[in-house]
Order: sequence, then C-alpha cells, then structure tokens
Amino acid sequence: MTMDMDDEKVYSTRRRDLPPITHVQKRGPRALPSLPRNIVHYHNPVLSSSSLFFDPDEMPVPKKRKKKKVKQEESTDLVEVPKGDGAIEMGGLASPRLSESRERLTPEPPENQPQRKKKKKKAEAVDQDGDHANLVLNSDLADQNSDEETTRKLKKKKKKSKPKVTETELNNDLDIEDDDIITGTQAPIPQHALFSAPQGQSQPVAKVFIERGRRFQPADRTQQRRTSTQMEPNFMDVQSTWTTRDVSMRVHRGFRVIGLFSHGFLAGFAVWNIIVLYVLAGDQMSTLPNLLQQYYTLAYPAQCLFYLLLTLSTVSAFDRVNLARVPTAIRSFLTLEPVALASFLYFSALVLSLSQQMTSDRINLHSSVNASLWVPGSERSVLYPWIIVHLVVTLLVGLAWVLVSTSPDVDYTEESLMAMKIEHPKVEEKGSVTA
Amino acid sequence: MLQTNNYSLVLLIQLSLLAFDLFVNSFSELLRAAPVIQLVLFIIQDIAILFNVIIILLMMFNTYVFQVGLLSLLLERFRALLILSAVYLTLSICLHCWLMNLRWMESNRFVWTDGLQVLFVFQRLAAVLYYYLYKRSTEYLGDPRLYEDCAWLRDAFARARL
Repeated sequence: MTMDMDDEKVYSTRRRDLPPITHVQKRGPRALPSLPRNIVHYHNPVLSSSSLFFDPDEMPVPKKRKKKKVKQEESTDLVEVPKGDGAIEMGGLASPRLSESRERLTPEPPENQPQRKKKKKKAEAVDQDGDHANLVLNSDLADQNSDEETTRKLKKKKKKSKPKVTETELNNDLDIEDDDIITGTQAPIPQHALFSAPQGQSQPVAKVFIERGRRFQPADRTQQRRTSTQMEPNFMDVQSTWTTRDVSMRVHRGFRVIGLFSHGFLAGFAVWNIIVLYVLAGDQMSTLPNLLQQYYTLAYPAQCLFYLLLTLSTVSAFDRVNLARVPTAIRSFLTLEPVALASFLYFSALVLSLSQQMTSDRINLHSSVNASLWVPGSERSVLYPWIIVHLVVTLLVGLAWVLVSTSPDVDYTEESLMAMKIEHPKVEEKGSVTA
Repeated sequence: MLQTNNYSLVLLIQLSLLAFDLFVNSFSELLRAAPVIQLVLFIIQDIAILFNVIIILLMMFNTYVFQVGLLSLLLERFRALLILSAVYLTLSICLHCWLMNLRWMESNRFVWTDGLQVLFVFQRLAAVLYYYLYKRSTEYLGDPRLYEDCAWLRDAFARARL
C-alpha cells in the first residue's frame, strides 16, 4: 500500500517537473505516425468549444527546423496523438493518397515532429510517448537509428526548398490572428524522400472539419467564416444594448402609457356615468324608479369597470409618487405636489367606489329577486347617497386627471430605476474586499 | 448574473398572473351565473397569488445580495411587499370562502352584509397596494447591482456592519 503511494507520488512529481526524458525521446519516434499533420487552434469566442482540423494535404509545408528543437518537441507533439486519431482518420478520409503514404511510413521514425510551446503538456506527452513506444518496441532499434542518420541529411536539403506560400493564404482565408496559430508546430517531412508523396504546393480545399459532439463534421469554410462573422456582432449587440434594467424601465414606461390612458378614460367614463344618472333621475330626482328600470343592467358592469380603471389609475399615480419610498412620498404630500395629490384623490375615489358595491348589487338585482330588496318608496333613501357618492367620485377622478395632466413628466419611480447602474470598483479595492 | 432573457420571461409570467388577478377582482362578480365558474376563478386567483409570491422569493434568493448573506438589505426593500402579499392572500381566501359559502346554493341572490362589505373593501384595497408593490418589486429586482459585487453593495455592507 505504501509502495503504491510512493509510486504515485513519484509519478506525479515527474509529470510536473521533469523535462522530457532522454530514454523516452529515444523510444518516442517509433510510436509516432509519420503522417504529415498540422493542427491549428482556432480561438473563437462564439465557437469556443469547437476546434478546426484541416486536411493535412492543404497545410503548408514545414520550414527549416533545427535538430535539437525537433528532438525536444517530439514528446510534446505526442500530446496530440490520442485525440489526433480522429484527425488522422478524417485526414485519411479526405485524401486516400495520404493513407497510403501513412501505411508506408508508419514504421519509420518521424524526426521532424511538430514543435509545441505548451510546456504544461510536456509531462503528459512523456507518459503517452512511453505507452506508444511500448507498443512499437518489438521493431528493431538498430535499423531505426541508421535510418535516422540518413534521413536527416536528406531532410536538410529538402527543407530549404520548401515554399511558404500557402500559409499566408490560409490565414487570410480563415481570419485567424497570428496569436491564434501555434507557429512552432511543424508538419514532419516524410523521411524517405524517394518513397514519399511529391512535395508540391498544396492547395486549400473548401472543407473544414469541425468538432461537434465528439465527431468531426465537414463544413464549408466560407459558411463557417460567414456564420462566425455574423454571430459576433449580433451577440455583441444584444449584450451591449439590453440589460435587466432596460427591461424594467421598458415595462415601467409601458405601464405608464396604460396609466395615462386609464386616467383619461376613467375621467371620461365617470363624467358620462354621472350625466346618465342625473338625466335618468330627472329633475330634483323625481324619477328614481325610472332610473332603476333603465340603469339596473348597467349598474354592476359600471361598478366593475370603475374598479378596474380606478385600480390602474391608482397604481399609476402611486408609481409616479414612488409611494414605497416613504420619505420621498411624505415630502411630496407635504409640498402638495400634483402627482401626490392625484394619488390621494384616486385612492379616496377607490374607497368611495368600493363602499358602494353593496348598493350596486342591490340595483343589479332589482328585477330578478324578491320584492323585499326594493320596498316601494325606499328608492330615494338608497339611491340618493349612491348618486351623491358617484358624483363625488367623478369630481375626485376629474380633479386627479387634471392634476396628473399638469405634470405628465414627473415619475419618481422611473428616476430611481434609472439610478440602478453599476459603478465598477477599482481593481485594488475589489481585491482587498474579496480578501 | 441575471440574464436579460430569463428576467424578461419571469417578468412576463409575473405580470400575466397580476393581470389575471386584476381581471378576477374586477369581473368575478359578473361571472357568477354558475357558482362553479366563480369557484374555479377564485381557486386560480389564489394559486396565482401564491405563485407570484414564490416567484418573487425565488428571484430574491437568486440575487448576489442574498447569497452573500445581506438579507436585511433585501428585507429593507421588499418587506412591505412580503407582508402585504401575505395579508392579501389571507383576505382573498377568506372573502372567497365566504362568498362561495353564501352563493353556492343560489348564486344570483343578494348576500351582502356589513361584515362582508367591509371584508370586500379591505380585500380590494389590499389588492391595489399589492399590485403596486409587486410591480415595483419586480422592476427593482432587475437592478443589476443586486447580482454582482459593486460599490453600492459594499457601501450597503459597510452600513450594515456599523
């Protein structure tokens, strides 16, 4: 048990600290497929989870590399090997010629493995390198070493003649910044120039393989570029223009429009209602039975509509005063601000209107129920206060509407909503507070 | 951080429930031809009030202010709403039970007494205050300062520690 623990510790420290190990470097090349391969990491804020793998044929031919660097980077490049299986397969699908060359070149030691700058992954690469090396250990060592010496000489000559043409084209085509490309990555050159594929200029194809849901799917490069460029501005627009505060203010302004409509409609409806009542009641309220006969169907719907409009108007008036903030509201009432008076008038009208609910229902049930509700001669005692209350409600509502109309811009709630802005603290302060 | 789309959706649900509540309060007396209709409306209204309270509580729990423990800051802002919501829900349930009890056998009859009238007035007045405070609270819960660390929150924290 303790032995295992010790082994684990040693293993973990080796992964972090040790530079590429020499014996691994020796064994490493055998495991590496000699397939020319380039991987470009394409950093896109929108498509952050996707990476683009290109057909190896279309990638630029590697430049001149020093032997020492190549040896150092062999181990790091092996980081890509397990994941790169998919990429190799896709590359093979894209070009059958490549798969043939891979079969031919697999046992050969790839000396010019791509160089990696990510030092963090070096330790992992060492382990994976070791695994792959074990798999291929059954092949002979001596032949490999001799092959290495011969191929290095050939490779030096070849490197000088490689053109650098397609790299810039590819960069322009994909809109990749220089920082996004790991320039240290170099595709290996086939070791036996005599048996390898011709090293002509590769032309970029229109397909890009994008990782989606653990599978690489081909997509048109032009479409990819178009979608990425289209999505970014839209995303930024949405982010920059709409916040929750804006939504709140929009809702508030929308309700203020409803409130404005409600104020006016309520005042007009109240005036119409009281005029109808007085007309039906006749001179000196002499025809109250006529009022009952004509108005009983309208009494309860009018009462319900009054409640609806009074509720909307009262809430709107409270919004303008910002009643929930007590000091501001009290100051507004004491200074007799129009909106404060209007809200008080609306609330009073609401109470008065609600107090007549019983009478309205009595009028509503005038013809449908027993006669005990309306004893002959009792109309005046019931209807007179009811009409007076309606008159008062109409006056209150009309006056409130006038007061609101005189100051249509006053809205303290909106002002407080507009104050809901974030003032970002300085970095130093933030650090101290979070600590 | 509260997403704008999520906030809009929640706001829409809340305002829809409020609108339904207002509709029932306004026109339930007209829809009493069949007592079952009024019963269903009342049940839905009470559930809507309850849902609205739950939603606003969840929104409060989602704030950064709540998660760092500054509960007093939230209560200072929304105490009136929470109290009034409880009062309004209680008054509504009482009024609905009373009305349905009186009208279940015969819906189209005169049932008003002074007590019922008083309860009716208080329930309707509480409804108006509830609408105002609820609407205001939902709008204030869109305050971005409630969802991240900022100078305003630190000032409030400093005041709370004093």
